[in-house]
Amino acid sequence: MLIFPQVVFLRSSFFEDVGLGLLGDAFSFANYVIAFSDPYYTDALKLNLMLSTTVVFLTLMVSFPVAYTIARMTPKWAMIILAAIIVSAFVSVAIKILGIIILFGGDGAVVKTLKAFGIIGDGFKVIGTMPGVIVGLTHLGISFMVLMLFSVIQTVPRSFEEAAEIHGAVRWRVYWRVIIPLSLPGLVSTSLLLFNIIMGAFVSALVLGGGKILTFPVLIQQSLLVHVEYGMSATLSSMLLMFVLVINLVSVFLVTRIRAARLAVT
Amino acid sequence: MTEQQTAVATPPKPRALNGYDRLMRRLDGRRIRRVCALTWLWFIVLAIYAPILVVIASSFDPGEDVAGMRAFLVFPPRGFSLEWYWSIHPRLWQSLWVSVSMASISCAFGLLLGVPAALGLIRGNFRGKIVLGTLFRAPLQMPFIVIGVAFLQAYYAIGNIFGIQIVATFTGLVIGHVFVATPYVVGAVGVQLQRFNPAMEEAALIHGASRWSTFRRITVPIIMPGIYAGGLYAFLVSFADVTISLFLSGPNATPFPVMVLFSIQEDFEPTIPAMATLVFLGSLIILLFIQRLVGLNVLLRGGGSNA
Repeated sequence: MLIFPQVVFLRSSFFEDVGLGLLGDAFSFANYVIAFSDPYYTDALKLNLMLSTTVVFLTLMVSFPVAYTIARMTPKWAMIILAAIIVSAFVSVAIKILGIIILFGGDGAVVKTLKAFGIIGDGFKVIGTMPGVIVGLTHLGISFMVLMLFSVIQTVPRSFEEAAEIHGAVRWRVYWRVIIPLSLPGLVSTSLLLFNIIMGAFVSALVLGGGKILTFPVLIQQSLLVHVEYGMSATLSSMLLMFVLVINLVSVFLVTRIRAARLAVT
Repeated sequence: MTEQQTAVATPPKPRALNGYDRLMRRLDGRRIRRVCALTWLWFIVLAIYAPILVVIASSFDPGEDVAGMRAFLVFPPRGFSLEWYWSIHPRLWQSLWVSVSMASISCAFGLLLGVPAALGLIRGNFRGKIVLGTLFRAPLQMPFIVIGVAFLQAYYAIGNIFGIQIVATFTGLVIGHVFVATPYVVGAVGVQLQRFNPAMEEAALIHGASRWSTFRRITVPIIMPGIYAGGLYAFLVSFADVTISLFLSGPNATPFPVMVLFSIQEDFEPTIPAMATLVFLGSLIILLFIQRLVGLNVLLRGGGSNA
């Protein structure tokens, strides 16, 4: 049961589409050749990589201070805030997107306020554009990132910070030389995990991009449900899957390297 | 005079305090940092909740009647009315029922498959243990859209080969969700099992307990928090999922989130915010109940995501 669906779609990725949802008879790499050469698909992949990098970077910037603050709070408050974040993480993406559309839409509170202050012009739109997708994905990423980073930062004992301060380190130096290096394996693996999630994020890209931002997952859905190309959609899916697996391996590799390097130093 | 006092209270300063120094002392770095950090924290918590709060607020909006239709959803709401709560579309109730039953069945099957799997993977000693362990963890790493595509194609294949139609049926929907729900149970129960010393089971056996009563009296109580956490995550992941459901659902089996998505993309159903508010309140009550029952730290143990 675990393997069967994977085998079926990997198999169908090697057969050409002959139209009307039928697959050709011959085993071929044609789909892969198309997917790696046609700019329609390669552009989507590039767009996806850029999007994921941006979102992961933004999420890290926003979440690290939050996770740090929670990790240094009294356990009771930390628990309450973490619980609140977890509860919000289980509200369906569909409903959050509805909320984001209401807030950032043409008549939404955010856009109106920004216009009133003259920060953005009249023609500015968030929904249906790249910034809209970035806003939505970052929003989804933050709760995940805060929860993961919290457990990472919690493992850095407060006494290390105090020791550094007693020895005369100023605050930013404590961050750069103590907290970040000690939480680096967690930071790297969490970032790559989020990168994977964003690579595969589909609903936000579809709805907030208004069908105009063609990321890889959106192409997969279109090729399967709109163009009824089983072969091509399977090819694109397996490419996405391979990509995610590679990122996972890189993550494991990097984390073991960092740990090994630290052992060598100490 | 003042110079002497400060010299006693703090380490000696090379020069006299002027107004700037005094200001800086009052706003010492630690306090500024604290205020900034807390402000940022609450801002982000608010930002995380903003879309949910906006949907809740707009469920009370009376709406402009444009030819009997609710024109636009706006925030902040223009008034207060409970009108939408009385007129929730019957199809939404139906989709909520699909969601609840789907998530419950996925959770039940996830537990049935996941608990023995975790016991076998952690306690067992057999060939291919690592391969099997990776297989059970794999769905957590796969993008949901790939799972959706894979299952849809597998269902078409099953339909072609065996003539059994499960495309766009409730059964098909549930099978796909069991696939993603099980790893959460395996993970949560596995963590719990790894923590405890197998010598405890051996001790019970040596003292004459039967295998069954050892399992019931020792193993089950130990893995119970894992079962709660895994089961809860399995339920919630299935309940909140849009992507897999989008591929596997059909007109007779549409879960609530998919209904919301369709409604955003096509013609908007104005009672959706009201329904979403009810769902949110419902899940809040269930979570509070679980908190009373087993404590909230159960929730922190799973650590999943559902982008």
